[in-house]
Amino acid sequence: MNTKKSACVFCMTFLLLSGGGFLLCLFQPEAEYLYSERRLPAPAPVLSADAVKSGRFMKDFDAYAVDAFPFRENFRRIKAVTAGKIFARRDNNGVYVADGYISSMEYPMNEESLEYAAERFRYVCRKYLTDKNKVYLSVIPDKNCFLAEESGHLSMDYAEFERQMAAKLDAAEYIPVSDLLELEDYYKTDPHWRQEKITDVAERLAQSMNTELSRDYKSHTLEQDFYGAYYGQAALPLAPDEIQYMTTEATDSCTVYDWQNRKEIPVYDLKKAAGRDPYEMFLSGSLSLVTIKNPAKADKSLVIFRDSFGSGIAPLLVSGYSQITLVDIRYIHPDYLGQFMEFGDSDVLFLYSTLVLNHSDTIR
Amino acid sequence: MLFSSITFLYYFLPLTVVLYFALPRRFKNTVLLAASLVFYGWGEPGHVWLLVLSAVLGYVSGRLVGKYQKQRAGKIFFTASVIVSLSVLLYYKYADFFLENYNALSAADVPLLHPALPVGISFYTFQLISYTADVYRGEKEQKNIIQLAVYVTMFPQLVAGPVVRYSDIAAQLDGRKHSWQKAAAGIRRFVTGLAKKVLIADQLGELCSAYTGSDEKSVLFGWLYAIAFALQIYFDFSGYSDMAIGLCRVFGFHLPENFQYPFISASITEFWRRWHISLGRWFRDYVYIPLGGNRRGRGRQLLNILVVWTLTGFWHGAAWNFILWGLLFAVLLAAEKFWLLKKLEKSRIFSRIYTLFFVLLSFVVFSAENAGQAVRNLGGLFGAGGIPLVSDEAVYSLQSFGTVLLAGVIGATPAVHVLAEKLSESPKGGILIKSFAPFVFAALALVVTAYLVDGSFQPFLYFRF
Repeated sequence: MNTKKSACVFCMTFLLLSGGGFLLCLFQPEAEYLYSERRLPAPAPVLSADAVKSGRFMKDFDAYAVDAFPFRENFRRIKAVTAGKIFARRDNNGVYVADGYISSMEYPMNEESLEYAAERFRYVCRKYLTDKNKVYLSVIPDKNCFLAEESGHLSMDYAEFERQMAAKLDAAEYIPVSDLLELEDYYKTDPHWRQEKITDVAERLAQSMNTELSRDYKSHTLEQDFYGAYYGQAALPLAPDEIQYMTTEATDSCTVYDWQNRKEIPVYDLKKAAGRDPYEMFLSGSLSLVTIKNPAKADKSLVIFRDSFGSGIAPLLVSGYSQITLVDIRYIHPDYLGQFMEFGDSDVLFLYSTLVLNHSDTIR
Repeated sequence: MLFSSITFLYYFLPLTVVLYFALPRRFKNTVLLAASLVFYGWGEPGHVWLLVLSAVLGYVSGRLVGKYQKQRAGKIFFTASVIVSLSVLLYYKYADFFLENYNALSAADVPLLHPALPVGISFYTFQLISYTADVYRGEKEQKNIIQLAVYVTMFPQLVAGPVVRYSDIAAQLDGRKHSWQKAAAGIRRFVTGLAKKVLIADQLGELCSAYTGSDEKSVLFGWLYAIAFALQIYFDFSGYSDMAIGLCRVFGFHLPENFQYPFISASITEFWRRWHISLGRWFRDYVYIPLGGNRRGRGRQLLNILVVWTLTGFWHGAAWNFILWGLLFAVLLAAEKFWLLKKLEKSRIFSRIYTLFFVLLSFVVFSAENAGQAVRNLGGLFGAGGIPLVSDEAVYSLQSFGTVLLAGVIGATPAVHVLAEKLSESPKGGILIKSFAPFVFAALALVVTAYLVDGSFQPFLYFRF
């Protein structure tokens, strides 16, 4: 091939690449939802003189162009593989894979965040609780706690984390659960714990709060595959998880009320299991205020201030209480709680994962 | 608009290239000008007027200086044009620096102006000064306003150089030639620059951010940061220059080189002959030599070096750490000029260690937010403040970025280039390179695209200058 001909072939290759990319960008139908990233794509910007003058149009277009790029998923995968295999990066955007598990590298410990979370919990105690309420605190370590050391990734001092939280909320009795947990208790592709693996944690919590749970668990497995939140972040081809959920007589007979949408909801929502985030099948996912009533039990109630890990364990605690109220103060300001609930002599459990406590700015 | 963005690569560039080559020759400069204004306006809609005004000012000044060449009026017009250009730069880039220091020294409370710094203003201001200076010295002025506007605004090198002297491309503005070979070479250069920026510089930027955001500083982490930042700024800036030179070549222009593997230098003097060559040349031609250069004795030469390097530092940013950075080089260059250079020539290894050591230190000063942080970061390299030798984060960063660092170190030397040259010289190697080059570069472009699709924008470091 002579020089001119090879130069021509070279130029044509790139014209095809760039021009083809341009045409695909224009004509390929846009995704309505980025499933693996669990988010809506940036919308196409609206052209107006004001938007152009302020630069908003250009900024929005840049974001739109990235989100709407053809074969986005494949490109994200190419990036993840290049980062890991060619550049030997230990993590990709703070997420890593070890032993078939995907985990975020939770590091370093953010003491200011811990203090802020503890202050918000103390605020709730001051505002609503009396001597009649017994207060408990339990910290759920994230997956990095069990994976990082062996895989050579950075991790926090989890014992110190728990010690600090317990000291900051010294009005609460601390219930340790990390000794009951191990890597296999978490989903491989998701940050959450597996409900079928944490019955011992539920037992520990119940015992510490002086109640008993029935142990008539029945295990059910969802047919559909579960690709968790980390799966999309890692952008690597990994095997999916399966979701199991546990029912008891209590979960079969209880009623659950969603105060946010003012309607009854199931303990396990199988429609949501087939939706964008199957983990939302546990008590319908991220809701600000949920009450579970168990007619089989009398006069023992519990209020759990929780994050999404609480949705997995709360059904296991139902048999020990006549009523469990789940409050997520990331979605409702504590000042409004008095309009919907009374604390009476309920036990109060602050049950939070290290993932939320270490980034507590979402707590109100 | 950023070169390393989906918008540029998959919308702006194909449209501009198709339009440029589809239209007849007489419209090509107009297409380039329109594309350049869109390119600039995309990121700086509020400052397009300033760019247009600067081009018009340059045109009018050039015509007036040209008309009264070698006359007193020509000198007046030239001086006035330089003063206006520098005043605009002073207002946008340095006004608050002077006010802050005035307030600090006099305990006054003059309110700051907070002007938004127009991207690339330092580059196009210097190009305009270069144009009027060249016309003042006898170069023919540009009578076609479109051609002059293309010189000032040409998008490939508008926001981060190279600083192109008017005399370098005056002839090309009117009568440049296009060819498949030039375009292919331009594309290769562009993709190489893009990969340098996205695959090396931006990843090293992550390491630098990890260091600056860390509360777990250590000596090892400090040195990792120093090396990573020096490589990051090299790959970022030389990558940008590669892209600018490559794109210009596609459009038929031949721009001067801006980098020649500076990290292999055996002295600071050599380093500055290889680093940001176009800026060094600009200061030499328009400041150092007019001040007398080395023709008026050692004392005057020393003063000229100090002036040039204070200005070079100040050009990079309105902060004391940039001035310190410039002064550091002034001291080193003066020392080399007067006695050190001869000693350095005696040892190839020591001279390179010495050069790298001071270059690394200089970039630690350069990268700091202010002079105080610069001193702290420098101290950290030697364990000042009782910081430990090693930290977990440092070890992890070394493990995680080791390959990128290694790629950066190798890429900063001519090794890959020499290897490719050798390969292409052999008959089989030449065929191999010609056959596989389109695939290799296309694969590189796709990997870069993958990084852009996955990541958020990483602005070029030199945009802020």
